[in-house]
Amino acid sequence: MFCENCGSKLPADANFCVTCGARTTYRDAPAAPGPPAPAPPTAAQPPVNAPPAPPPPTAAQSSPAARCSWCGSPLAAGALSCPGCGGKVSEMAVSTRSGWLQLPGRKDMAKLQFGQSVCQIEGVYVPVADIRLAAGDSVYFAHHVLLWKDSDTVITTMPLRGAWKRMFAGMPLIMTQAEGPGHVAFSRDAPGELIAVPVHPGQSVDVREHLFLTATGKVLYDWFNTNVWFQTRNGDDTETHYPVGAFMDRFSGSSQPGLLLLHAAGNVFVRTLGPGESLLVKPTALIFKDPAVQMHLHFEHPQSGFLSWGTWSNRYLWLRVIGPGRVAVQSSFEQLEGEARNIQSASYATEMRW
Amino acid sequence: MSTPTAESFERLKCPWCQSLNERAAVTCRACGAPLDAANLISESGWRECPRIRDMTEIHFSSSTCQVEGEIVPVAEINLSAGDAIFFEHHVMLWKDGTVPLTLMPLTGGLKRAFGGMPFLISVASGPGRIAFSRDATGELVVLPLHPGMEVDVREHAFLLSSHQIQYSYVRIKGLCNILFGGQGMYMDRFVTAGSPGMLILHGYGNVFERTLKPGESIMLEPGAFLYKDSSVTMDVEFQKLGAGFFGGATMSLARVTGPGRVGIQSMYVHHKTE
Repeated sequence: MFCENCGSKLPADANFCVTCGARTTYRDAPAAPGPPAPAPPTAAQPPVNAPPAPPPPTAAQSSPAARCSWCGSPLAAGALSCPGCGGKVSEMAVSTRSGWLQLPGRKDMAKLQFGQSVCQIEGVYVPVADIRLAAGDSVYFAHHVLLWKDSDTVITTMPLRGAWKRMFAGMPLIMTQAEGPGHVAFSRDAPGELIAVPVHPGQSVDVREHLFLTATGKVLYDWFNTNVWFQTRNGDDTETHYPVGAFMDRFSGSSQPGLLLLHAAGNVFVRTLGPGESLLVKPTALIFKDPAVQMHLHFEHPQSGFLSWGTWSNRYLWLRVIGPGRVAVQSSFEQLEGEARNIQSASYATEMRW
Repeated sequence: MSTPTAESFERLKCPWCQSLNERAAVTCRACGAPLDAANLISESGWRECPRIRDMTEIHFSSSTCQVEGEIVPVAEINLSAGDAIFFEHHVMLWKDGTVPLTLMPLTGGLKRAFGGMPFLISVASGPGRIAFSRDATGELVVLPLHPGMEVDVREHAFLLSSHQIQYSYVRIKGLCNILFGGQGMYMDRFVTAGSPGMLILHGYGNVFERTLKPGESIMLEPGAFLYKDSSVTMDVEFQKLGAGFFGGATMSLARVTGPGRVGIQSMYVHHKTE
């Protein structure tokens, strides 16, 4: 076999060209019509062509008991998009070879149902969550994400415990609540994806700060100290940095299912870690995790005695996440503040020298 | 376009700008909207601005504009002799060396400079090519303006306008509108007098339009406002959030009241309140 990009000779079962890195298309191309089955690592053999696809790539059409690959909501036979999260059924179960599941694309104007209310997601670059609240239903949000509302939709505030601490941590001091009946719409001020995370009774999700857009009134809100930090020194100044924020938001389902909407930058991927399985991610790429997933810092250093390497080497700063549970990341993330400075002390961290 | 006769029934009316197009047309001649795609209207009545397909050509007087790219679209104008367009100088992407630029004489330049508006509006005259784009993800909004139409636009949001349109600006009334309206002291106003013209705006994120009935009003995040018919009024109102100990935050929202169209951008311009 030869690489289609650069012409190098390759072994017959190569997935990538060893010279230029191009993917060998002969096996992947036929898979285009449907999303590649979420088949685990078995797909490594070249003879596995597209034809043998009786298992469920687009599961929705095949059985009425199909469930959304992203949020687990049951899908009606023939449904084009998921009623729970708005994901396109045709794009479900697209996962990478390493096991990350991509957030399914969403049809513009997709509708999600919660209680008696409906949320319509409009636009593609900076999507808007346009919510029609039925009487008795409510949503809460940080006040700066409001885009527009009917003039008679009532907004009030929701008191939060520990307001002082939140103010110092830079989190929204107050949550604002909108009550039905009426329309209210939200968006963020950056391009990205809108993620719908249904929260079932008894289930909780931990979300990194500033990603929260809105949640239905039935979802319980709390926050906790992440205990992930490091301190840098510059002269006499000691600065404390919080790679995933000093606090994280925790949303929990009450007796009724609820809906949580988050806004992430770039593309969104989720992965389920097995018990004890761990992974290193960029701290600012984390979107949400299940509460059972533990996290701590991890440093990597070059094996060198040079003092001058000290500050440089700290740039290999990771967040280790340990299963069991889900972890979601975004592809566009900010640079971590203080990463390149001289780190004096940190919360519990593992270390590796190479 | 000619007078509406029986012939007009055989033509396609553009759902966005109402221009009549030939039956075989795939995109609108006057605004570039796809004619073979359904209008996207949300349940609450917002119409998504038509997503102009890559490389669509739009016609105005005897010139054309080609829309290139989709994430940060470029408007590339092929000006014919005798046509001219005007714009704020910071949106210019490239031009032919031979296209002459001049300045549009504006009254009250000093006041405008203090108001943070562009002091200078540049004019490019045909023949030749000149292209424009903005600095962020967004959509182009093509508004063909017919005689008698008046449109108010958020400052700095207009990309270019053909020379048939008259440009002026209105001072936003009321101190609280200026301070908390999130858009400064002035709005651009475009008025069409004699012959039709074309106005192109760039909205951040996605753009939605809604037509308000007389007296109907909605509340907007002030940074989301993009354009409106001049018949629509806009006033900033305050909503007190939280009470007591922390003093609470105050949220400013713009009340827009019909009759007329109002356009918003979903990636609002964030104004700092603290």
